[in-house]
Amino acid sequence: MEDICLQPAMVVDDVVKRFGRDEQVITAVDHVSFNVAQGEFVSVIGPSGCGKSTLFNIIGGLLGDYEGSVMIGDERISAPHPAVGMVFQEESTFPWRNVIDNVAFPLELQGVAKSERMDRAHHFIDMVGLASFEKSFPSQLSGGMRQRVSIARTLISQPKILLMDEPFAALDEQTRLLLGDKITQIQQALNQTTLLITHNLTEAVQLSDRIVVMTYRPGKVKRIVDIKLPRPRTSDVVGSDAFGHYVAEIWNDLREEASRGMADSESAAARRGAHG
Amino acid sequence: MAETLAKKSGPRSLFFRYGPEIAGLASLVVAALVFELLVRIGVINRFVIPPPSDVIMAFERVVVEEDILGRTGATVFEMIVAALAAVLVGVPIGAALHHSPLWRRALEDWVGAMAAAPIVLAFPLFLVLFGRSPKTIIVMAFFHGLAPIILKTIEGLSGTRKVLINVGRSLNMTSSQLFWKILFPSALPVIFTGIRLSWTFVLITVVGVEYLINLGGLGQLINELAERYDLPGTYAVIFFVILVSVFFFVLLERVELWLRPAR
Amino acid sequence: MAATGEMTAQARRAVAPAISAAPITARHVLLVRVSVALMVLAVWEGLSRSGLFYGEVIPSLTRIATSLGKLLVDPVFFKNLQVTALETFTSLAIGGVLGVLTGIVLGANRFLMRAFEPYVYYLSPTPRIILFPVMIMWFGVGPASKVALGALSAYFAIALSTAAGMRQIDAVLIRVGRSFRATTWQMATKIYLPAMRVPILNGIRLGMGTAIITVLLAETKLSNQGLGYMIMQVYTRFDMPGLYALLIVVFAMAGACNALIGKLAREQV
Repeated sequence: MEDICLQPAMVVDDVVKRFGRDEQVITAVDHVSFNVAQGEFVSVIGPSGCGKSTLFNIIGGLLGDYEGSVMIGDERISAPHPAVGMVFQEESTFPWRNVIDNVAFPLELQGVAKSERMDRAHHFIDMVGLASFEKSFPSQLSGGMRQRVSIARTLISQPKILLMDEPFAALDEQTRLLLGDKITQIQQALNQTTLLITHNLTEAVQLSDRIVVMTYRPGKVKRIVDIKLPRPRTSDVVGSDAFGHYVAEIWNDLREEASRGMADSESAAARRGAHG
Repeated sequence: MAETLAKKSGPRSLFFRYGPEIAGLASLVVAALVFELLVRIGVINRFVIPPPSDVIMAFERVVVEEDILGRTGATVFEMIVAALAAVLVGVPIGAALHHSPLWRRALEDWVGAMAAAPIVLAFPLFLVLFGRSPKTIIVMAFFHGLAPIILKTIEGLSGTRKVLINVGRSLNMTSSQLFWKILFPSALPVIFTGIRLSWTFVLITVVGVEYLINLGGLGQLINELAERYDLPGTYAVIFFVILVSVFFFVLLERVELWLRPAR
Repeated sequence: MAATGEMTAQARRAVAPAISAAPITARHVLLVRVSVALMVLAVWEGLSRSGLFYGEVIPSLTRIATSLGKLLVDPVFFKNLQVTALETFTSLAIGGVLGVLTGIVLGANRFLMRAFEPYVYYLSPTPRIILFPVMIMWFGVGPASKVALGALSAYFAIALSTAAGMRQIDAVLIRVGRSFRATTWQMATKIYLPAMRVPILNGIRLGMGTAIITVLLAETKLSNQGLGYMIMQVYTRFDMPGLYALLIVVFAMAGACNALIGKLAREQV
């Protein structure tokens, strides 16, 4: 019994992903390893170009061709796996379906009967706080609400691991903080193992138990930081001293990587201008 | 992510870059050869599909005997007159409609309906009104090509980014300066799209009506050759018309792309 | 376009808000439309009675109205209408199915797209009626040649719209389907098809427009039935009011079909 509890939900082991061929090879992910324990909230943070989106696609099974392994239990992920639920960065609600039909979509694919689908959809729509919008269409909702629909849609399939790729990137700061609260609530209530890919420092510290800091390309694990802020947590934690310390500490690591990234894109632009 | 994959030089990279296009062209050539074979061995009746080799030979005959270049000149002349007229009349009308929101809301839909209407169908009417002459063809093509220019002019002018207009107003520009120095240049790419569309309609109308009433340049030639049962000739001229049409279309498209700076 | 260069900047700014503040109501618009229509009709009637034009080339409005009335109860008209409608519908069906299939293939497969789409794209703005002699040779002088020509016309517009629709599907929606492990059939019916409804309907609207025109024109050229044939009959009889009446009816029907499908395309599910 204890063994099962202590066994990690997911093990990322020495994952390497390269793009391109012959002379022009880019290593997006370079020997990345970390574990995610059951019920844990882990964030992967890094500057643009650190390979986090590639990692997201690998863990989600959309990119099956990689070296190393991502293990869930005994299985190596190489295609979309029922244990992994993905929430994408872009608008991903189906514009032609209303909210409840969107949320029930995964169950519809599995052939679950309509009444049961609708019941379970009610439950998760409630959980993300959109109970009075079941019949609305995505075009009638705000960006934040649409992302909540996407999250509910992923949760309904009850994945062991919730995998999110910068889901709040397009939202304003205040909406983000409040949605962060919602996510924390849901995650604690369901004891949902969650892996969040983000570039947002405060978001990562606010939500996570641990943070994996990545370097700029080629993406390696620079550091793993334990976030020992108390649980249950709300967005109020943003004002605390401990919070500030964590952010400062991680920014120290990130700044160096982000500067390298910036220098890189500047020289790329200069090269393009020279060829003009 | 993988954005800096360098272009490699040499024949191998040429194949990678143009492989699909070459494959497409190659399959058409192969199809033509297959047709040639099937006709020669009699599977396909040569009075239904002439062997491609006959069609190619007919090209030469058509140039020499049927004065295809002269006829092309006649057709293109009609096209240019109609298209020019459409631009000279259409752009001012479009600008006027844009200037008056009331008239615009009242009439824009009507112009849209006119754009979709089968004007070519009224050719018997135009024949009666204008007689059996190139004038009829030009007038019909003019009307058909008018609507897209009006619509695109309105679209282009109203699509000017508000901030640019505000810049002009903050510099105390007069209404006329505003139009010529800000609205019109900004609208030019879209207006040109309208010109390209208009040209397409004009070409289709001119050649189509020439064919239908058996008068004029290329359209009439197709009619004559068809009535003489000169199949290879008919096919040859049809291909020629398609080539001319594609030529102008590509030309105008290039100009249109060149006119579109990054916004 | 009035030149307001003489006004001072301040005066101009004072006037501008006043002008734009006057709201354009539906009544104003209706007023303008009605007056324009009335003016056109008045000019028409004037020209008709002026004697400037030979005979009945510009017939009076009453004559046109009478002809219109007679036409709409004429069984010959309805018989020809039926023929044309059948030809148009068949050509749209054939061109539509082939067009959608082509569009799906071209939209889904980059290689095929680059290999063949240019041909479809550059061939579409060419005059299709000139292919009629070829269609006659292949399909004879009956309705089949007109249906074939109409189908060819509709095909291009529909194929291109469908291919564009395929490519414009938000890539993230495909990834959502894959992340939930949807089968190919589920992807096709629950994601691709709903996402493409609008582009396909728009393609059908354009395709129908060209099919109608092409079928009618082909009928005028060589046919012994259908509305195009009827137009030529009326023309050779020099029945001008009849010609106007018939053209009005045909244009109105073409416009109605266009508007109907346009409305379907715009409707929210």
